[in-house]
Amino acid sequence: MKNRLSTAFACACVASFSLADDTAMSASQLAARLNALQQDGNSHVRLKMEIHAAARESLQLQIKQRRTSSGTDIVYQILWPKERAGESVLLRKSPGDAARGTLFVPPNTLRAIEPAQLKEPLFGSDLCYADVIDNFFAWDQQAIVGSEVVDRTTCQILESRPGRGERSPYAVVRSWIDTRRLVPLRIEKYSSAGKLMRRIETTRVVSDDGRHLPANLTVTSPQRASSTEIDGSRLRRGVAYTDRDFTPEGLKELATPRAGAD
Amino acid sequence: MTFPTIIVRGLMRRPVRTGLTLFGISIGIAAVVALVGVSRGFETSWNVGMRTRHIDIVVSTLGSGITPKPFDASVRDRVAAVPGVTDTCALFVDFTSVEDSPMLIVSAREWGGFSWNHLKIVSGRMPNDATEPAVVLGRTAAETLKKKVGDPIQIDIRELKVVGIVDGGALVENGSVMLSLDLMQEITGNEGRINIIDVRVKPGSSEEEIQRVCEAINRVVPEAKAMSAGEHIASSEAYRFVQAMSWSTSLLAVIMGVLGVMNTMLMTVFERKQEICILLAIGWRRRRIMLMILGESALLGLLGGMVGVLIGVLGVKAIHGLPGIRGLLDPDLSPRLFVTSVTISIGVGVLSGLYPAWRSSRLTPSLALQG
Repeated sequence: MKNRLSTAFACACVASFSLADDTAMSASQLAARLNALQQDGNSHVRLKMEIHAAARESLQLQIKQRRTSSGTDIVYQILWPKERAGESVLLRKSPGDAARGTLFVPPNTLRAIEPAQLKEPLFGSDLCYADVIDNFFAWDQQAIVGSEVVDRTTCQILESRPGRGERSPYAVVRSWIDTRRLVPLRIEKYSSAGKLMRRIETTRVVSDDGRHLPANLTVTSPQRASSTEIDGSRLRRGVAYTDRDFTPEGLKELATPRAGAD
Repeated sequence: MTFPTIIVRGLMRRPVRTGLTLFGISIGIAAVVALVGVSRGFETSWNVGMRTRHIDIVVSTLGSGITPKPFDASVRDRVAAVPGVTDTCALFVDFTSVEDSPMLIVSAREWGGFSWNHLKIVSGRMPNDATEPAVVLGRTAAETLKKKVGDPIQIDIRELKVVGIVDGGALVENGSVMLSLDLMQEITGNEGRINIIDVRVKPGSSEEEIQRVCEAINRVVPEAKAMSAGEHIASSEAYRFVQAMSWSTSLLAVIMGVLGVMNTMLMTVFERKQEICILLAIGWRRRRIMLMILGESALLGLLGGMVGVLIGVLGVKAIHGLPGIRGLLDPDLSPRLFVTSVTISIGVGVLSGLYPAWRSSRLTPSLALQG
């Protein structure tokens, strides 16, 4: 599955062309369209993340992402507070390969993130690395298992299961898709034991150039009894990146990408 | 006993039911006052901000988003060359969360442009030049961010310094973080791009002359749209959405009020069937009976409207004082809104009384004998 941001913003990126015949779509068609929306090239997102656990913590983050059909590269970087500024995570995934990454903690700590570590939390939030890099819309097994009204919107419930070649901490992901706007309004991720591991609710959908994107998300982890609120404040598409931006060395630099054509 | 006295006594027979109905309709009217007052207040405040800065025309791409999309800064030169334009100021305005705060307006202005001139320093100073890593905060923004002169403030990846706190003369200005355009472009990776151009025309120009300048600008700048300052916020889809939401939410509340009053008046007619029949028997005309029922429902509407306005005003004041909202709202609680609300309430009362009044007019004197 895609993390909320990814899903929201990346999806936003990908965004929406409206579906006139949404009711007639099969599960694989729906997943394919959502997956296609994810492949939206280079984008840059600014967001605020508020973690409600034993203590409340606010983070300002930027996300650099490069999503194409040949792979996905994502960098999450903390901009604020000052004490954590520069903490960065690089995650990469190519089709058929397991996701991997690198964690950078200033001034000099670099640690590899192996596939077995993708369950670890992202910056202490309720999202894990896998939530950010997995794209469950691209998984082989897709089924529509019902429909339900979420926030007065009738959604198709898409159930995604990883295929043999896919590695994911989740055995099943259910997403409640508003098929008119092509936006997931709720995502639930289950372990192989059938336990709910993560719930992601879209609390605000925005329209950008005719595309709909989840802008605000609430992530809850029943196991941790905590929640994380994500408020997207800026999304730019078509920004300019270099390959270095998506390397461990590039992680050490905190910079805003230059604007491309909006 | 006079006719108005009969109407008042009719309502006083069941004071608890009348009171509850009145409370129901007043909640609907309170919603009108609060929601419409807040959305109109934003428009008023925006326009006050424009007047304070002596802006006649705004050139931007404001559409469905809260902030306009960026365009090339060279557009400013084309706008400046349009006959009738006397001054321009380029801006890059963003609506974003800063540090731990909720969403704030970050307003980057061309260094030396007229949009700096009206700012009155409350404490500290203005930035020294376009490249100094410094911001000034509107008074409300300073309170929201809990910042004072000399404190650091982070805008995206850059830590800047608060060098001054200013009074911008309007809510929008006072709620903004202000810095130089060059600095903001560098911080956000938007070199050479802006998203708003403030325009001044010859002093004393009429609205028609301003419209003609807008048309001339729109001919030479197809990538953006020029609108008179008054039209600008009203044309924002986001603002229109908020306005529509305010009115539609209020309408729902008012409809509930209508149903409440209608229910009360129907009960009144049923309970007072014998009395109405006797009034008909002693010579009252049906029209007078209908007027009595309509009068009672209109009076309920009037009282409900007055109480609703009071609740709405108190509610807005209470919300206005809440931490996190204080200073961010400038509701337009004008007499015009009060009169509109009470008029709606009376209309609701009359509308709600129509069916009960018609039912009462169908009664006959002989029904009084049936008990």
